[in-house]
Amino acid sequence: MGRYIIRRLLQAIPLLFLVTIFMFTLIHLIPGGADQVIFNPHLSAAGRAALRARFGLDQPVPIQYLKWLGNALTGNFSFSFGTNQPVGDILKQRFPATLQLFVPALALALVIAVLLGVISALRHGTATDYTLTTLAYIGICMPIFLLGLFAQEIFGVWLHWFPTSGTSNYATNIDPVSAFVDHIQHLILPMLVLAISFVGGWSRYMRSSMIDVVKQDYIRTGRAKGVSTSALMVRHALRNAVIPLITIVALDFGAVAGGATITEGIFAWPGLGLLFFQSLAIRDYPVLMAELLLGAVFVIAFNLIADILYAVMDPRIRYS
Amino acid sequence: MGEYLLEVQDLKTYFKVKAGKVRAVDGVSFAIKPGEKLGVVGESGCGKSVTALSIMRLLPQPPAEMAGGSVLFDDQDLLDVPESTMRKIRGGKIGMIFQDPMTCLNPTMTVGKQIGEALRIHLKVSKDEAQKRAISLLEQVGIPAAAERINSYPHQFSGGMRQRVMIAIALACNPKLLIADEPTTALDVTVQAQILELINGVCSDFGTAVMIITHDLGVVAGMTDRVVVMYAGKVMETAPTDELFANPRHPYTLGLLSSVPRLDEVRHSQLRTIEGAPPDLLKPPPGCPFMPRCAFARAICRTMPPLEALPGNSAHFKACWVDVTDPQEQAYAEKRRQTRIEKVLAATNAQLASTQPVSEEK
Amino acid sequence: MDISEQLGSATTQDEVEPFLELAPELVQKRRSQGRIIWDRFIRNRAAVVGAAALLVLVLFCFVGPYIWTLNPDSLNALSATSTLANPTLAHPLGTDDVGRDTLARAMYGGRVSLLVGFISMLMAIVFGIGIGSFAGYYGGAVDNILMRFTDIVLAVPLYLLLFVLSAAFVDGTPKSVIFLIAILTWTYAARLVRGEFLALKEREFVMASRTIGAGNFRLMFRHILPNAAGPIIVNATLLIGTNIILESVLSYFGFGIQPPTSSWGSMIATGESFFDVDPFLVFVPGLLIFFTVLSFNLVGDGLRDALDPQMTER
Repeated sequence: MGRYIIRRLLQAIPLLFLVTIFMFTLIHLIPGGADQVIFNPHLSAAGRAALRARFGLDQPVPIQYLKWLGNALTGNFSFSFGTNQPVGDILKQRFPATLQLFVPALALALVIAVLLGVISALRHGTATDYTLTTLAYIGICMPIFLLGLFAQEIFGVWLHWFPTSGTSNYATNIDPVSAFVDHIQHLILPMLVLAISFVGGWSRYMRSSMIDVVKQDYIRTGRAKGVSTSALMVRHALRNAVIPLITIVALDFGAVAGGATITEGIFAWPGLGLLFFQSLAIRDYPVLMAELLLGAVFVIAFNLIADILYAVMDPRIRYS
Repeated sequence: MGEYLLEVQDLKTYFKVKAGKVRAVDGVSFAIKPGEKLGVVGESGCGKSVTALSIMRLLPQPPAEMAGGSVLFDDQDLLDVPESTMRKIRGGKIGMIFQDPMTCLNPTMTVGKQIGEALRIHLKVSKDEAQKRAISLLEQVGIPAAAERINSYPHQFSGGMRQRVMIAIALACNPKLLIADEPTTALDVTVQAQILELINGVCSDFGTAVMIITHDLGVVAGMTDRVVVMYAGKVMETAPTDELFANPRHPYTLGLLSSVPRLDEVRHSQLRTIEGAPPDLLKPPPGCPFMPRCAFARAICRTMPPLEALPGNSAHFKACWVDVTDPQEQAYAEKRRQTRIEKVLAATNAQLASTQPVSEEK
Repeated sequence: MDISEQLGSATTQDEVEPFLELAPELVQKRRSQGRIIWDRFIRNRAAVVGAAALLVLVLFCFVGPYIWTLNPDSLNALSATSTLANPTLAHPLGTDDVGRDTLARAMYGGRVSLLVGFISMLMAIVFGIGIGSFAGYYGGAVDNILMRFTDIVLAVPLYLLLFVLSAAFVDGTPKSVIFLIAILTWTYAARLVRGEFLALKEREFVMASRTIGAGNFRLMFRHILPNAAGPIIVNATLLIGTNIILESVLSYFGFGIQPPTSSWGSMIATGESFFDVDPFLVFVPGLLIFFTVLSFNLVGDGLRDALDPQMTER
């Protein structure tokens, strides 16, 4: 098992290199480089040339890449074109906001998906099943920005239950408790929208997994042993049915660095996703590269975690 | 309780399908004494598995329907008791093992836990006690290094070993009856004998009655005290094993026994079969289900014969109007067979003649 | 007990019909495989509803404009009452902020959205089959390289890559959006096809064909691929739905279809600011997207059930 992990980690490194080359090339293909977008239009040509040299934008792209790579390997991600802050700091600042949104959303989605999926499976073919399936389809077939829009309109504008954007209504100088409550109020709508976008697909997956498991012979053996139906469903069926779902959840979690992008965009939530939009608009290469790299690292890491989880949960994989 | 541990009386189990009701079990009656070993024989689809599942009430009721009869066990009609009582009986008083050991165990639970689960539900022992007993059970079913294997997972065992684990689970709580539904069908031939010996031995040691379901007459001959022969959801004949093999009285049993190739037969003789196919259980013909394939059939067979004891032999029952030992009946049957052979020959020749454009010049 | 030795001429009066002729041979008419699949699909009510809805939607977008002939681009801004109007007979779904008829815009926008979704799916599937079949069939180094390639694309979170690529390549025309979406989604098809090929190439019918001298290409595309067709078709159907959503996301954020062309997604983008005044501008394209994707999903699920060889009769 340990050897397997090490092998996968070793494979991940060249992959990461290739990914960085891929992404570097891509963002430099975006028309209108940083110099055209950020620089003050009133700058003289000499001033522009000086700035370009300072940012290293006058070099050929492959050289730029090698410079970037060299810096990145030492943990130096340079400075943002837009704000001149160290990129590392910017990411560190924005990442918690995305986590706040992403982790509760996925945790909630997982719990609801398991519940809905199991109920749907056990009431297979009844009206309950059809209702829950319909709800799941709404989550799957509605584009997430539309969900966000509707949520904002219904709960924010019409009902005035929740605020529709940002993280807080007040400036500073409010007591911590009220600030916390206010923060939570701002969190709820985007978090729910994000959760709904996952629940749809996950609950369908759970449902079909559960239906398959309940048909298995060992469930009948359990019944022949005298195990009660509820114990049978939880201890035997659920235990087996949830395994494939957990792998999917782990994989979806890998998208953490980019998965909330749209939600953050709609609700103006100041996380990595919103940062990405902003950096893209001004062609802020250092920030873009760092974000893309972070995103790829998470995707690859959670791919590995998903495989490990699968082995942990299914002894047939572990011991073969 | 009387002298019987289990008494099945006129059991009827139907399945509701779109096209109607499939009469999988249509009036089956038999009984098992404490410690007795009963074999239930019949071809695929004759309803023997469904009978066992009906006794254990393991059939989901929407498609299945208990359409009649009673199953008397321990002074109770199992078809009437509430589910909670049934749950205590399953695994506690009646154990059951199934055909395919590869899929019958939970792949994500250790073998020890699966055995322990039965112990903890019925005997309410502690986790440690359950573990200890599980180890000893594994030893009893012949699994070496039981103390280590207790924490292994099912996929780490071979098919035969898994079946042994199933037996351990089924017998863990010392039930009065073990139902074995084709326990050896999915196993290698060499392993089959071992498993049967194991079942035989352990059940004899503990006085557990056994109901073994199989289509293999060899299994039945080696192990059972009594045999029930089923066909199309009904019982055709039942007798003590030796008696049945020596003195079969139902045309179906005759057919079954004569279809088994024997070592002392003349070489190069043709294998005998029972021609025809089992009836459609959606619309079973009235009367004896074997009639269309029976050489001894009479008009009276359109009424189902009752399962009655042979005159002078209260242990041997058959459901047949005809006395197959009567030479007249045998001649009649033989004549019918010859007529059919002639008919088939004639039809084949006619077909050949019509397809051959030119007849051979000799 | 040897009855056959005994010959007798005894007959009795109550002889029954010749025996064994009583049991009729059950001659079941064998349905063709296509027929079986069709029957199973038809029995799935949700799938049939989805298919019917798709038909209606396609007709709405492609045939509709010949019936409802208003020009979607004609501005009626001259009259103040005809902008952001409520539904009237002249404009059953109202008008937008510059007076364009929403119904006509929905039809024309639908053409773009549906075409983008469909064509990008075709491209993705073709490319995915190309890569996946070679990777799965040849295995070894070929497989390794191709899968590395796929992994690189998959390593970047989808939406980040989507937006970067669109900033780099998309110029607002449907063609560029089609290419973009195809480039992003071929990976799923490739993985699926590779898996199918890996499994199928070990089957006996492949070995049998090889022994009579079939070459690699023939094996891959005339033998293995048709057997993998089932999951591929299901995947393709569901992919159309995914692609329509991707296009709408792109267009909503301004990275996809841009004026003068409009799609359902871009309609939502322009209509969003007027949501309080005229919700139709968002609801019409939004619900159209939803029902289209829903229909594709229902049909895709129906196909999956109909094509699954292990589905028991219910």
